[in-house]
Amino acid sequence: MNGSGQVQLSGSVNEVWEALLDPAVLAQCMPGCEELEHTGEHRYRARLVVGVAAVKGSYSATMELVDVQPYQSYRLRIHGEGGPGFVDAEGLVQLQCTAEGTALHYTYTADVGGKVAAVGQRMLGGVAKLLVGDFFRRLQKAVDRQVQANRSAHLPAGG
Amino acid sequence: MGYLGQPLARLEDARLTSGQGRFIDDLRPLPNLHHAAILRSPYAHARIRSIRCDQALALPGVRAVVTGADAARWLKPFPVGVKVAAPYYPIAVDKVRYAGEPVAVVVADSRYTAEDALASIVVEYEPLPVVVDPELALSPEAPRLHEGLDSNLVHQRTFSYGDAARAFTEADVVIRHRFTFPKVHATPLETYGVIAHYQSSEDTYTVWSNFHGPFTLHSVMAAALQVPGNRLRVLVPQDVGGSYGNKSGVYPYMVLMAVVSRLAKVPVKWVEDRQEHLLASSTGTDRVTWIEAGFRRDGTLTGLRMRYIDNVGAYLRAPEPACLYRMHAALTGPYRVRDVEVEALAVVTNKCPTGLIRGYGGPQHCFPLERVMQMAAQELGLDAAEVVRRNLIRACEFPYTTPSGGVYDSGDYEQALARALERIDYAGWRQRQAEARAAGRYLGIGLACVVEPSGSNMGYIALAQTPAERERGLPKSGCAEAASVTVDPTGSVCVRFSTVPTGQGHETVAAQVVADALGIAPAAVRVITGMDSWTQPWTVASGSYSSRFAPIGANAVYRAAHQVREKLLQMAAHALGVPADALELRGGYAQVREQPDRRVSLQRLAGMAHWHPAGLPAGMEPGVSATAFFNLPTAQAPAADDTVNGSVTYGFVADAVLVEVDPETGRVQVLDYVTVHDAGRLLNPLLAEGQIRGGLACGLGQALYEELVYDATGQLLTGSFMDYLCPTSAELPPVQLDHIESPSPLTPLGAKGLGEGNVMSAPAALANAVADALEPLHVVIDKLPLTPAAVWQAIQAAKQRQPVEERVG
Repeated sequence: MNGSGQVQLSGSVNEVWEALLDPAVLAQCMPGCEELEHTGEHRYRARLVVGVAAVKGSYSATMELVDVQPYQSYRLRIHGEGGPGFVDAEGLVQLQCTAEGTALHYTYTADVGGKVAAVGQRMLGGVAKLLVGDFFRRLQKAVDRQVQANRSAHLPAGG
Repeated sequence: MGYLGQPLARLEDARLTSGQGRFIDDLRPLPNLHHAAILRSPYAHARIRSIRCDQALALPGVRAVVTGADAARWLKPFPVGVKVAAPYYPIAVDKVRYAGEPVAVVVADSRYTAEDALASIVVEYEPLPVVVDPELALSPEAPRLHEGLDSNLVHQRTFSYGDAARAFTEADVVIRHRFTFPKVHATPLETYGVIAHYQSSEDTYTVWSNFHGPFTLHSVMAAALQVPGNRLRVLVPQDVGGSYGNKSGVYPYMVLMAVVSRLAKVPVKWVEDRQEHLLASSTGTDRVTWIEAGFRRDGTLTGLRMRYIDNVGAYLRAPEPACLYRMHAALTGPYRVRDVEVEALAVVTNKCPTGLIRGYGGPQHCFPLERVMQMAAQELGLDAAEVVRRNLIRACEFPYTTPSGGVYDSGDYEQALARALERIDYAGWRQRQAEARAAGRYLGIGLACVVEPSGSNMGYIALAQTPAERERGLPKSGCAEAASVTVDPTGSVCVRFSTVPTGQGHETVAAQVVADALGIAPAAVRVITGMDSWTQPWTVASGSYSSRFAPIGANAVYRAAHQVREKLLQMAAHALGVPADALELRGGYAQVREQPDRRVSLQRLAGMAHWHPAGLPAGMEPGVSATAFFNLPTAQAPAADDTVNGSVTYGFVADAVLVEVDPETGRVQVLDYVTVHDAGRLLNPLLAEGQIRGGLACGLGQALYEELVYDATGQLLTGSFMDYLCPTSAELPPVQLDHIESPSPLTPLGAKGLGEGNVMSAPAALANAVADALEPLHVVIDKLPLTPAAVWQAIQAAKQRQPVEERVG
């Protein structure tokens, strides 16, 4: 399974980049994320609860950011395992400055195995799109909050 | 007139339709029954680095967790018919080789607890490269499944009969083509179920299961458990919810649960769920066939060459590689060709292991053979029906010995084909097809003529060994089935036999046989089905497979019933003071022929045998009971020249089918289907019709819908009925049935099997019909199933092959 897409985020490249690398923001944005632990530079361990068709279950996942080009791009590798099977995914995220803010372009490939493949494969593409869309919607909110916070912080005290 | 041959309604149905059937899941044979759930590998090929069970074991209600390493301490690998260093255990020991392979078993006080505990077992896998395609698996670069082997090729033999080289030089046209047959499932309504109990005081395993044989597998299980046969008691409940061969493959789970019971020290019950069943029970063999067929200009088939590559999945497990040899005696089908060569290969890949499935080996064999008959007609500019007819074995040639050793016992193939052509109005449709083409519609007519072997000779499996290897071992032959008929002190009759029915209606036919023999009503006969390997007669060949009830099992019942009949007649002759041959059994009495007032009731005769042995003729044993073992002397071991009579009877099926194909969508619509069977004497036409319609539904599924699809990483993508499409009654086309009865001269009842023929014929007939419909578009049909997407792609591929100017036009 693979996919790609582009989202337009309001916020500078810097703001988006900071949000993407902030474990607290990631934990908020990742659908079904019940725990996220920062285990090293660009490394995370997470517990995710995700449902694909009738196959709902908990996955323990490791995530790693590689080829990190600050404020430009990174590769994300995810390996998740759980009762319903496993997921091996790799994505490429690239940021670009635009007039409206930041354009984020992504591509991903994923292999799944076990029950989730045998029963859910018909739904997988749709579910993946849904999860990715959900992630970016939440990310936008997080970036908005960040931008708001930054602007408040820079207001002159006492006016 | 007797009851045999009458369309008697099934005696089984009263209990089945009123919810009183007794299936494996209904059984609670022991107290303290615990429940098992199986952890299965999500990887198709991986090394198991570690399994951590501590969290699962700590859960309330969990009794034990058993891993492959635990189980292997009490097991030897299952034996298999050919020597190959690819040990097969019922649970992965250090490596998994297919997605769904058992890795651990949890035993708990309820199924819920056991299922939940699976998630607490932590398995560390090291994924390995995967191969699922049998031809790719043969390449030297392919990932190797078994460390003990140099390659994934686990079996290879070549056979030559007559002089194929000469036959091909005599041919005017040679058709060469590669065909692929998909991996399919039998999908019975009821899944696998096992209850196992190890009794340490007797060192005995007792296993209840919906297993139906072949009982060759009892020896295989006993060998794996390392016990003598009498310490493995196998019990099968009265009712089994369908199998179509599939449930012979429950045997690894019977052994697994037996060992799990031993380790957990409690009786264990496991009932498979549907997802497990589709993923990891037992499936059909996907096959690649390279076929070469030589024809003279007039359509005469001169010679055949075939190369089979069978994909047996991750392990070569018994009875494989028998799929390669089930049709060996009928390699040349219904045709008179004498010169034939075959190369048979079996390959392991990272797919679910294979086993018996309705038509075992037949659909794979008939699809390429029947396709080349039609392709030859097209190539030679002849009518397809004429090419088939020209090559059919003539009625006067029976019994007919095939080049590979099959002895076709009886038949009238030409008449059956003529009947099929007439019933479908072949000539009329050829005319209408031409008109439809002119109007831009694509109608097609497909034919298939297949020989349907029934009643397997155990000897055919030994073809997997070379003549020299066979020479060293005990020869294998025979097809024996056992039956007992007993009259109790009240004069009522019980029948017991070893065919282990799975829903076919054996009880009804057995009652008809006994009723006719003893002059009583079928409803008065109590037929006891199921199996208890400790208390009833059975043989290594026993079981429900290879359509062996009609040609063998029913005859065992017949023999036992006639031994009882003889004894009753002797007793009656003594009581009435007349010779036995003056007597007949009718209406519950032994009576003097044409003097019905001189009679004695069966009740009185039985009473005498039980209550008053002193009144019996001198030397006669008390009791009225007979056990017969029925075998046919034509079931011989393979000869040194590799000929074998693989089955004892051979029926015939001629199918003619009419389809319309929509070239825009690729949809195939079946407009009419005619199937004519010559299966010898029909024992019960109602049951025969049910078997034929069921077989046709299976064949239609394989032709149009069904395939177990795996991705390149070995993941099964059709793991539910959302994606694995079985035809339902709504998909069945109108079907016209007809029969010709050429009784088998070999058996008292003269009947042959008929439930597997349409699984062999329908995929070929439908493929021929679709190819015929799309002939103006030069579409090649060489793989199944013919889903709309597959047909559409074949049409696009044909367009790509056409010269550009034609396409522009």
